[in-house]
Amino acid sequence: MPLLDVDDLTTYFHTRDGVVRAVDGVSFNLERGETLGIVGESGSGKSVTCYSLMRLIPEPPGRIERGTAMFDGRDLLQMSPKELRKVRGDKISMIFQDPMTSLNPYLRISTQLIEALQMHRDIDSKAALNKAIEALEEVGIPGASKRVFSYPHEFSGGMRQRVMIAMALITEPDLLIADEPTTALDVTVQAQIMEIIKQRQNDLGTAVILVTHDLGVVAGSCDKVLVMYGGREMESGSADQIFYRPRHPYTRALQKTIPSLQEKGQELFTIPGLPPDVSKPIHGCAFHPRCPYPKIGSPEGERPQLEDIEPGHCWAACGFCDSSAPIETVLAKADDHVAEPVDGDA
Amino acid sequence: MNALIGNPQEDFLVLDEVKTHFDMGTTLLTRESKGVVKAVDGVSLTINKGEILGLVGESGCGKSTLSRTIMQLLRPTSGHIWLKGRELSAISDADIRSERINFQMIFQDPYASLNPRMTVLDTLGEAVRTRHPELKGDALRGRVAELLRTVGMNPFQMKRYPHEFSGGQRQRVAIARALAPEPELIIADEPVSALDVSIQSQILNLLKRLTRELGLTMIFISHDLSVVRYISDRIAVMYLGKIIELGDAEAIVDHPLHIYTKALMSAIPEPDPNAERNRHRIVLEGDPPSPMSPPDGCKFWPRSPVEHSEELKTVEPPLVEMQPGHWVSNCPFCVGTDHQA
Ligand SMILES: Nc1ncnc2c1ncn2[C@@H]1O[C@H](COP(=O)(O)OP(=O)(O)OP(=O)(O)O)[C@@H](O)[C@H]1O
Ligand SMILES: Nc1ncnc2c1ncn2[C@@H]1O[C@H](COP(=O)(O)OP(=O)(O)OP(=O)(O)O)[C@@H](O)[C@H]1O
Ligand SMILES: [Mg+2]
Ligand SMILES: [Mg+2]
Repeated sequence: MPLLDVDDLTTYFHTRDGVVRAVDGVSFNLERGETLGIVGESGSGKSVTCYSLMRLIPEPPGRIERGTAMFDGRDLLQMSPKELRKVRGDKISMIFQDPMTSLNPYLRISTQLIEALQMHRDIDSKAALNKAIEALEEVGIPGASKRVFSYPHEFSGGMRQRVMIAMALITEPDLLIADEPTTALDVTVQAQIMEIIKQRQNDLGTAVILVTHDLGVVAGSCDKVLVMYGGREMESGSADQIFYRPRHPYTRALQKTIPSLQEKGQELFTIPGLPPDVSKPIHGCAFHPRCPYPKIGSPEGERPQLEDIEPGHCWAACGFCDSSAPIETVLAKADDHVAEPVDGDA
Repeated sequence: MNALIGNPQEDFLVLDEVKTHFDMGTTLLTRESKGVVKAVDGVSLTINKGEILGLVGESGCGKSTLSRTIMQLLRPTSGHIWLKGRELSAISDADIRSERINFQMIFQDPYASLNPRMTVLDTLGEAVRTRHPELKGDALRGRVAELLRTVGMNPFQMKRYPHEFSGGQRQRVAIARALAPEPELIIADEPVSALDVSIQSQILNLLKRLTRELGLTMIFISHDLSVVRYISDRIAVMYLGKIIELGDAEAIVDHPLHIYTKALMSAIPEPDPNAERNRHRIVLEGDPPSPMSPPDGCKFWPRSPVEHSEELKTVEPPLVEMQPGHWVSNCPFCVGTDHQA
């Protein structure tokens, strides 16, 4: 039995402009010790997926409409507030995209770390303080025994993020949900943090959901990858499958956008058009309006069904375009057609 | 080509030995000093009009503090800053406000920098009106719509509040707000870190195009070195409040001289699982020392894999121009040796 088994998770926001279908039927599972990477464009529902699992969706306007999320045999989506408080911050921890949402600006770091620990563990304050210092050292805060008494604003952005990671790991959770945990960090600390998380996984079998837009981090750290677009799954598989044999046009286009793979001096490749407006119903394939592949048929049909390509690798099998050719050929053709004026040096 | 400290009267932005220290105060009982954080500790730099300067370095090395000092959100402890011949560091607090529409900052944290009680229209409208107080009604809305389109957002979203947006959307609003007063200098502190690659590329193309079309000058801070390499004309590498290497973007990324820069470059993750499995890193020992008690001499000696001489543990090496336009903190133990992991 997987540690976490999410099926048909669907979370909407009922706003005055209409129903925002932030997460629209997403399924995945995760074994102990495994890392799942969730990638996808801004607004594709990655954070809302995480918040839904933690039951931190503001209700209203948000509502978890359907689905199950079995964690260790129990459905997170059906738990009572009391049960949730027990699980949250103990068995499941989350590192938020925005460090300041989980750090209280008016309390010393020491107070906050000790509180996080004492909420779930029977431990005296002195021992808790030592553990807090240890946790800070582990995430590479220099002079931890002194700086543990600082306030959050006395730390740089990256250090605050490391404090959050320390706070999330201090209870040794079974599942760590990390929403862009290294976004604010420089490469050396990022490498350190991913190393700390990996170490935890080896020692304690922690499972990790890692939301990131850095495909380099995904390549280095994730066993499995879920590619989201417009609140839906476009493709999922092992890291190797997604990086070396991407099938969905969106996954392929996403890879083309990585800056390090592009020539300097040229415009970076971007996917033309705007992300879908998820406050309107999406017919057919969510990526269709921006898809560079030749279109076939009308886009008004049924939503593409998930189909297996090889064991563990599936995609939303879109029949609205002909995506048999590699994306390079398609983009090269598109360039010939558009022949937009390239602004040269004046 | 560039002297480190240019001509304040002619060059666009000149920094001369800028230091920004934070005094941590004294203890209540014994009145002992709790120490001083030397966040920026002697930075000299000249930036040309229309240039994009990338600023990189580990967390806590002082990038944000330097930006805030240039913005005069923090006043330097010592040193001088000139923008277009005006000494910013000498302008009074009262006058700096009106000066500030000429230089804008995009903050690291889009959550903290947007007012949660203002709609996007209010936020951007207010920023537009700092330059064009006469704009109202439809004309103002039109300009806001244009700004939103510029950053790749849909104008119908202008009546929304910050919490109704995703992280990336909020960051684009923050970028639009910085552009609204039509500044000449933009300091972008991790402006694309919160964005996914696709929108990140749009924003990078946008920022690059704007610098070219509007003659904007930009200081671009990011820990993502592939992004910095792409966007910057030159790159400055900071360590413990100082610049330790400065040069053309390609030179810094492809032929770094200082071992610290080399280590940074080798830590860039590659979007390729096989390459990641076989990667070769120069591993830095330990953490950066606390900026409250930086080491004497070469700032890097406590972490360097190469043992330093007593002299270089006490006497600080100067920045020298090793190759035309390529400056490096000239420590013989950090520069020039063939460092292998
Ligand atoms: N409280 C809310 N009210 C209304 N809509 C919301 C709310 N929170 C999120 N949304 C919408 O839900 C969608 C998904 O947002 P989410 O934050 O999950 O995106 P994301 O994939 O995490 O993006 P990013 O990479 O930018 O963080 C977006 O369209 C967003 O505007
Ligand atoms: N208001 C303050 N009071 C005391 N110390 C501060 C203050 N602001 C920053 N510092 C310290 O100054 C140093 C430099 O911080 P700064 O925010 O400039 O780093 P940074 O290079 O921007 O890091 P990051 O990449 O993490 O954003 C850090 O050690 C930080 O803790
Ligand atoms: Mg998010
Ligand atoms: Mg910073």
